[in-house]
Amino acid sequence: MKVVIVDDEPPARDRLRRLIEEIEGCECAGEAGNGHEAIALVARATPDVVLLDIRMPGMDGVEAARHLGSLDQPPAVIFTTAYDEYALRAFEAHAAGYLLKPVRKEKLSEALARAARLTKPQLAAIAATTTNRRRTHLSVRVRGELRLIPVEDVLYFLADQKYVSVRHRGGEELIEESLKSLEEEFEPDFVRIHRNALVAVRHMASIERGDDGQYSVRLRGLEEALQVSRRLASDLLKRFRG
Amino acid sequence: MRGNGNPNPTAPATSRAFFLPDFCATRSVLAVVLISEIVAIVLTLARHELEHGFWTDLARTSMFLLWVGLCGAAALCYSRPQLARMSVPQASATALAMLVAVALLVSEVTYRVGQYWFQDMQVGVARLFPVDHASFLLRNGFIACIVSALALRYFFVTNEWRRNVEMEAHSRIEALQARIRPHFLFNSMNTIAALTRTDPRLAEEAVEDLADLFRANLRETRNQIPLKEELEVARLYQRIEQLRLGPRLAVRWDISSVPLDTLVPSLVVQPLLENAIYHGIETLPGGGTVTVTGTRHADRIELRVANPVPTAGGGAGHVGNRIALDNIRERLDLAYPGGARVDVTEDNGEYVVTLAFPLLQPSPGPGT
Repeated sequence: MKVVIVDDEPPARDRLRRLIEEIEGCECAGEAGNGHEAIALVARATPDVVLLDIRMPGMDGVEAARHLGSLDQPPAVIFTTAYDEYALRAFEAHAAGYLLKPVRKEKLSEALARAARLTKPQLAAIAATTTNRRRTHLSVRVRGELRLIPVEDVLYFLADQKYVSVRHRGGEELIEESLKSLEEEFEPDFVRIHRNALVAVRHMASIERGDDGQYSVRLRGLEEALQVSRRLASDLLKRFRG
Repeated sequence: MRGNGNPNPTAPATSRAFFLPDFCATRSVLAVVLISEIVAIVLTLARHELEHGFWTDLARTSMFLLWVGLCGAAALCYSRPQLARMSVPQASATALAMLVAVALLVSEVTYRVGQYWFQDMQVGVARLFPVDHASFLLRNGFIACIVSALALRYFFVTNEWRRNVEMEAHSRIEALQARIRPHFLFNSMNTIAALTRTDPRLAEEAVEDLADLFRANLRETRNQIPLKEELEVARLYQRIEQLRLGPRLAVRWDISSVPLDTLVPSLVVQPLLENAIYHGIETLPGGGTVTVTGTRHADRIELRVANPVPTAGGGAGHVGNRIALDNIRERLDLAYPGGARVDVTEDNGEYVVTLAFPLLQPSPGPGT
C-alpha cells in the first residue's frame, strides 16, 4: 500500500513516515508540505492513501482533499489533526477517516486498512461545516490532468447550459459546478450581475451606462464589457456607488 | 493616614474584612459628621415650623449630635480590634450597646452642664438646655438605638456590596486567565513524540520547556511580574514552536531600551506571540518573522508585536484572535485602570498589536 504524507511540520512528517515504514505492507510514497505540493505529488506518485493534515498554510487539507477528489483515480484520504473540534465533528458525521496527532501506530494501521475514498458530496459537506469553507482554488481537469486556478485570478463565472465557464487571468475553463453554489461560497468577493454571470469584485474597473440605458461592467484585463441585467442593476449601483 | 476599607488587591484577607470601617480615618469621621447632621435636621424639622426658632434649634441639636457622633466614633475606633474578633451579630450588638451608652453619657453630661452653669439664667442660653432629666435620657436613648442600628446596617450592607464587587473582579480575572490553546499542546506533544527517537536530547529540552510554560500559565494572573520573566515565558513558547515550524519561524526581539524590571500583568506578551504565530506565520507557506519591539516613552512602556499575515483570503480564524486580545485588554485595564491601551492595526499584510501601559518599577527595598 502506497501512502503519501501531507503535513506542514517536518517533525510530524518524520514521525508518520517512521510509523508507516513499521507497518507491514505499507510504504511511504512521498511527503508534501502543503495542499499544492500534495496535489502535484499525488498525481505523480499515484498513492492508495493520502494522510492529510487539516491545518496547513496556503491550501488546507480539507480543500486539498476536494481537489484530489476530482482526479480520475482519487486516492483514499485520512485526515490528521492535533485538535480541531469542528473538523472532527464533520468527519464523524460524514464517515471520513481521521487520526489524532500524536498518532498511535495501531490506530494508524487500523485507519489504513479501512481507508476509503470520499465522494464529492461527502467532501463538500465536510468543507461546508469546517471553519474554512471557501476554497482558495478551483480545480479543473485539462486533458486528464488536474489544474488549479487561484480564485483570486478569476475574473468571472458564466453559466452556460450544463457547465459554468471560468474566465481567469490564464485563460478560460469549464467546471461542473452551479453558479448558485459558487455565489454562496465566494460572496461577497463575487457579485451577481446577471442571471448567468458572477464577476469578481476585485477585478472590477468600472460600471458604465450605455445609450440604451443598459449598464455594463468592465473588468481589468478584459476587452469586452459584461452586461448587467436590469433587475440587478440597482443593487449593483447601490453597492458600488454608495 | 490609614486607608479606609481600602480594597487592597494583594491582601488575601479582604474576603473576611470586618464590616465596620476604621472610624479613626478621616473619611469615616466625615461620614459620621454627615450622619449626625442629617439626624439633626430631621429631628429639628420634626419639632419646629421653619420660621419659629428653627435655626437656633438646629444649631443646638447639631452641636449635641456631633458630640454624640464623634464620641461614638472614637469609642468604635478604639474598640475596633476587639470587635473585629467577634462574629457579625455579636459585634453589631456590642457596637450598638456602646453607641447607645455614649449617647446616654453625652445626654447626661449635657443635662448636668445645663443644671450647674446655666441654671440661674432664666432666659437665653439656659433655654437651650434640657429640663426634664429622665425624659431627655430616655428619648435620646431610643433615638440613638434606632439611628445607630440603621448606621450599622448601612455599613454592613456597603461592606458586603464592596466584597461582592471585589470577588466578582477576582473571578473575572481568573476567567480571563490566558489559557494555552489545546492546538498548541497537542502539536507540541506530536513534535516531542517525533523527537524522542530522532533527537532524544532535544525532546528532553522540549518537555522541560513545555513544563515551565504550563507552570507559568497556571500561575495566578493577578500577580504582576517583572517584564523579564514574562519575556522568558514568551521565549519558552518560541523555542517549542521553533521545533515544530523550523526555519519558517523567526522572531526578532528588540527590547533593549525597556527596563526589564518593569512590572506587567503575567501573560500579556506570550499570548501575543502565540497569536502572531497561529494567525500569521503558520498560515504563510514560506513563514515569516515576528518582531517584538519594546520602547520607553518617559513613564510609559510600549510593546509592539508585528507579524506578516496572508493578504487575501477569508477572515476565518480572526475570532480567536480577538478573544485573546479582548482578554489582554481587560487584564491590562484591571491592572492600570484607564492607563493602558491596546491598539491593533493591519495594513499591507502586516498585523501589529501595540500595548501601552505605565512604567511600574518595584520599589527598592524588602519584599522582592
